[in-house]
Amino acid sequence: MRRPSRLLRFVVLAYVTALVGLPLGFVFQRVLARGLGSLWAALGDPQMDAAILLTVKVALIAVPLNVVFGVGASLWIARHPSRATRALDAVIDVPLAVSPIIIGLILELAYAQGGWFGSTIARLGWRVMFSLPGIVLASVFVSLPLVSRQVIPLLREIGDHQEQTAATLGAGPVRIFFTITLRAITWALAYGVSLTMARVIGEYGAVLIVSGNIALVTQTLTLNIGGNFENFNAYQGFVGASLLASASIAVLVVLSVARHRERRRHGHLTA
Amino acid sequence: MGISLHNITKRFGPDLVLDDVSDEVPSGTLTALLGPSGSGKSTLLRVVAGLEASDAGHVVLGGRDVTNVPARERRIGFCFQDYAPFFQMTVFDNVAYGLRVRKTPKAQIRREVDDLLSLVRLESFADRYPRQLSGGQRQRMALARALAIKPEVLLLDEPFAALDAQVSAELRTWVRSLQHELGVTTILVTHNQFEAMEIGDRLVILNQGRVEQTGAPSVVYDHPANDFVYAFLGPTTTWGRVPVRPHDLELCRVDKGTAVTVTEVVRLGFEVRVVVANALGVPTWVQLTHDEAQRLDPRVGDVVGVRVRVAEFAALSRHAQDRPVAGR
Repeated sequence: MRRPSRLLRFVVLAYVTALVGLPLGFVFQRVLARGLGSLWAALGDPQMDAAILLTVKVALIAVPLNVVFGVGASLWIARHPSRATRALDAVIDVPLAVSPIIIGLILELAYAQGGWFGSTIARLGWRVMFSLPGIVLASVFVSLPLVSRQVIPLLREIGDHQEQTAATLGAGPVRIFFTITLRAITWALAYGVSLTMARVIGEYGAVLIVSGNIALVTQTLTLNIGGNFENFNAYQGFVGASLLASASIAVLVVLSVARHRERRRHGHLTA
Repeated sequence: MGISLHNITKRFGPDLVLDDVSDEVPSGTLTALLGPSGSGKSTLLRVVAGLEASDAGHVVLGGRDVTNVPARERRIGFCFQDYAPFFQMTVFDNVAYGLRVRKTPKAQIRREVDDLLSLVRLESFADRYPRQLSGGQRQRMALARALAIKPEVLLLDEPFAALDAQVSAELRTWVRSLQHELGVTTILVTHNQFEAMEIGDRLVILNQGRVEQTGAPSVVYDHPANDFVYAFLGPTTTWGRVPVRPHDLELCRVDKGTAVTVTEVVRLGFEVRVVVANALGVPTWVQLTHDEAQRLDPRVGDVVGVRVRVAEFAALSRHAQDRPVAGR
């Protein structure tokens, strides 16, 4: 491959630096500007800590849900094409096309008291709005296509000959899934998982509506950051933002290191 | 283990892909399933393997009706045209897959896989990944993997189509001798009539989902059941508006045949094609051996005679030896 020209490299680097690097750098700079003492105190803020705990909890539930749904939907769409899967394939992208705030409103219409399922849920003694289930629901909804959009193209590309060969060798569906299919889609799945994770911990609009944004109870980290800025508590907001950014960057670094190793081991590109 | 197919019918939507296909594959033989693309031969192979359900008909393996038995319980070795290597596993693990499914003890797996790898001459590749293998090596790995479950039936879908000519020729000879050695009943799908005649004990010729003819290659070639089989099995040209094999025509002196003008001479090694045109400009071509071409030395512009070879010639001369009557 021809080396890109010096000018092109400069433009690309300058663009990325101005767009991503500098602002991110400013966040961390603002956090460290007041010294480690203030940072330590800010990290102990009970409202923020409760928000972090809630975000982790939501991610731990929403990400596995999305993986199970995403892989299941991908297998169905890629391996058993029909009119139903073509419809699903189109509908699955809606959460990406629609603003999260609208998703929040849809969920509220459906689950709030007086909503479509609201009275049924209340009769069963459950609570969806303004509680953990609502936040999980919103998070799953907004990240719905992120796993399947990575996995479906790969499933289509590798075809079903490996799976069918495994069947002729005597393997059952579960064994085929774990020894053939899952191993083939591992890296696409890992990429989808990290996108889902980033989306779930970073979601704001939909969660804002369904959670009710109650500090210490239903406030996620993004809502906590937003609240601190609104209340002229910018420093606390920057501390929260730097934690959120660090988590996202950590996910990306882990993924790229793992990918690099996998590539070296097999001597080829996967995913 | 013999394979009996009884009235297999399969539709994909409105398309009739297999139309009442029946056949008896004798145990231990290699049958070449031959047909143009879209004739349904791959679908038939998938039906035998249980990878595709037929709409009607029965598949019987060694006397057992397996029509409703899933693929994984049929114990049939199946190789796809693309060999379907398990890319995430080493060559060893690929071959060991079927044995692990059967919960074979570890030591036995090692022994059997090593034996299979030496059988397919991949001993030194056990720890490689499929992407590090050539096409021919992948194919041999896929064969070893299929043979690992000791199948009594082996199904090969276009096994040589993706290989270059020389590797394909080597592997054909090798697969032929391996099949003889193991005696495993084998069905091989191909669209290449030369490949089918070279490797098959018998041919099944499929066209538009129907069996046109079955039989030994030489019998089918010499006694085609219909025009399709005739045209599909070998080159044809026309002579006096009748289809004829170009090797059934010969060049002769002008006064011994129909006068034609040589328009082209194509030398392909053993085979030499002489394209000629009659007085009206109607073209036909004559297939000569290298030896005949050397002797006759046809050149573009020559006016020569063409006639149909006396087909009975060989038979006549054999009879002549039997009888004390002077022949010719």
